[in-house]
Amino acid sequence: MTESTSPRSLVRTVAHKEVLEILRDGRLRLLGGIVVILALAGLAFGTQQTLRAEHAREHAQEQATEHWEDQGEKNPHVAAHYGTHAFAPTSVATAIDPGVSAYLGRSVKLEAHKRNLASHSAAQDSAGLSRLGAFSVSTVFLQLVPLLIVALGYGLWSRERERGTLRQLLSTGVDRGTLMWGKAIALFVVVACLLVPAALVIIGVLWWLGGGDGSTLVRLGMLGGGYVVYFGIFGALTLFASASAPSSRAALVAMIGAWGLFCLVTPRAATEIAGAVRPLQSRAELGRAVARSLENGTDGKQSRQVAVDAIATDMMAAQGFSDSGMLMDDAYSAGIELQAEAQWEDAVFDYHVRAVDDRIAAQEAFVAWAGFLSPFVAMRTLSAGLSGTDFAHHRHFTEYAETWRKALVAHLNDAFAENAGELGWDYQAGPELWKQAPPFEYVAPTAGFALRTHLTSALALLMWLAIALGMALWSARRVKVV
Amino acid sequence: MVLQATGLVKHYGSHVALSGLDLHVDAGEVFCLLGANGAGKTTTIQLFLGFIQPTSGSARIKGLEVRDHALETKRFLAYIPENVMLYPNLTGIENLEYFTTLAGCADAGTDQLRETLKRAGLPADAVERPVGNYSKGMRQKVGIAMAIARRAQVLLLDEPTSGLDPKASNEFSQLVSSLREDGVAVLMATHDLFRSREVGTRIGIMKRGQLVAQLDAADVSHNDLERIYLEHMHD
Repeated sequence: MTESTSPRSLVRTVAHKEVLEILRDGRLRLLGGIVVILALAGLAFGTQQTLRAEHAREHAQEQATEHWEDQGEKNPHVAAHYGTHAFAPTSVATAIDPGVSAYLGRSVKLEAHKRNLASHSAAQDSAGLSRLGAFSVSTVFLQLVPLLIVALGYGLWSRERERGTLRQLLSTGVDRGTLMWGKAIALFVVVACLLVPAALVIIGVLWWLGGGDGSTLVRLGMLGGGYVVYFGIFGALTLFASASAPSSRAALVAMIGAWGLFCLVTPRAATEIAGAVRPLQSRAELGRAVARSLENGTDGKQSRQVAVDAIATDMMAAQGFSDSGMLMDDAYSAGIELQAEAQWEDAVFDYHVRAVDDRIAAQEAFVAWAGFLSPFVAMRTLSAGLSGTDFAHHRHFTEYAETWRKALVAHLNDAFAENAGELGWDYQAGPELWKQAPPFEYVAPTAGFALRTHLTSALALLMWLAIALGMALWSARRVKVV
Repeated sequence: MVLQATGLVKHYGSHVALSGLDLHVDAGEVFCLLGANGAGKTTTIQLFLGFIQPTSGSARIKGLEVRDHALETKRFLAYIPENVMLYPNLTGIENLEYFTTLAGCADAGTDQLRETLKRAGLPADAVERPVGNYSKGMRQKVGIAMAIARRAQVLLLDEPTSGLDPKASNEFSQLVSSLREDGVAVLMATHDLFRSREVGTRIGIMKRGQLVAQLDAADVSHNDLERIYLEHMHD
């Protein structure tokens, strides 16, 4: 066997011929042009929204810091009530895939006695109609590129059979697997020729937005790999339909049906079922449950006052005081009580907020398993995760904000206990104390965190690719000539 | 013996397409299969191509059982159907290069393939044109060019001159004769009694999946052939 007739060389020959045919038949210019324009339009919208959100975040964060540091002289615990705000950082990858970030709050009010849920989501702050126009690069990649692949690939086998070239082709003695790989590579090359320049533009824009750090690049690399697998799945399924269906029209109809099932029906059904299986409390219900627990404990059997007194006694004992009346000024005692109250409240809030977050995470996990029924669901979940716009990243931020809130309140209550002395509640601290507050230095999680969180979706995608390639090869070996 | 069918049977459900066919074709021989529609001519060719599997019996090419050596046996043959179908967006030379490369004959350069197309009778100005606007005769010539370029030892022709004008049909016959002189074994299914006597060395008449008569082309006149054929058709 010469180099030019080796299986690999024959695959190249088939791929080259298929690319030539696709390039010359005019479909590519029309369909590809539309998809690239839509992808770039999605990027433009995403970039504009990201810039606006980042500008608003920076402005709000500066204002919050300014208000905190310029709040004047007051009692430290009063300052803890006054509180401040923390704002979730905007990932530049939001420009590619906004995920569920539009529906999750972007800021958290941090204050004493209360763990607030995040608020001010983009959806909440926008007019209702703007939700109808939600459109991004990920919309194009997740929903429209598969349609482009179907449109370019549905006739790769069936048209050969319909116009009679399949008999001519198979009479040469070429292996059907060679033909299948050649056709698959041609489809991949054509789609890559369209999307690689678009992807380079996207990377350039993200770099310009400030995403040139290593972590973002790793995330983008993983995202790119994920989309290659995702497109490969649709390419292989299209080849399977083309080889198996009785006609090109039937192959096209079958693949559009599969697209609808994967991209429209399954995600909606999975979300609805997840909501029914793991229902969430409304905010009002949550508020009432928290209020009940603050008075009677999470088990409904503890009195708040008794529990707070017990915590205060333990705290004093830990500091060497056997009785709250001994050798302790009133301010110190009040400081200890405030800390004890904060501990009790923190335990209640942590219990309820964790329960809500666990429910949302369980819903997401349920939907992630639906990725084994739809590659769209798997890729959508992975895409949001790698873009840092999923619930897991949101939770990572809110948990950091809560840890920081506790540290801030402890810092202020300690200052009150240690410095108030005889002044008691009349004691006032100034800007020096406010500036000594622990720094809010949130670091977004790594790409590894995103991948670990969405391992189910990544595995589902790989499973789909293996199955789809197996189906494409199987159907190629059985494609009917006559 | 290059081509050999022994007791070849093919059933499509209850329909019997071939019923114990025995035939052989040697190198440098053109065996023409005559018969009405449904006599089993195309089925015989498709069995030699391995596109369908026999119910029983054996189809061999150069001693290899087609069923067991589907890819190897195709290395020896070229196939020209009633309509040679090519890729309309590719030029004549691109089509020829593609099919010959897949057939394992990539050593022929583009210039050599151009010469082959010329030998097959394709006008020089058509070589670089997309085949979408080729006539049927031009496509058949590309088919012959494929056989030449592949240096095929077996040529399977399924009504290759059907629908061709007399001039194109005559040119095609000359090309087949030329290949026969080069030692190629040709099995040609046709309705054309005149062409079969002109180009064939032996003629077989098929009816209901069986070979009911075999004649040496040199021993019969056109009128005799027509008479014998009609006698069998009226039985």
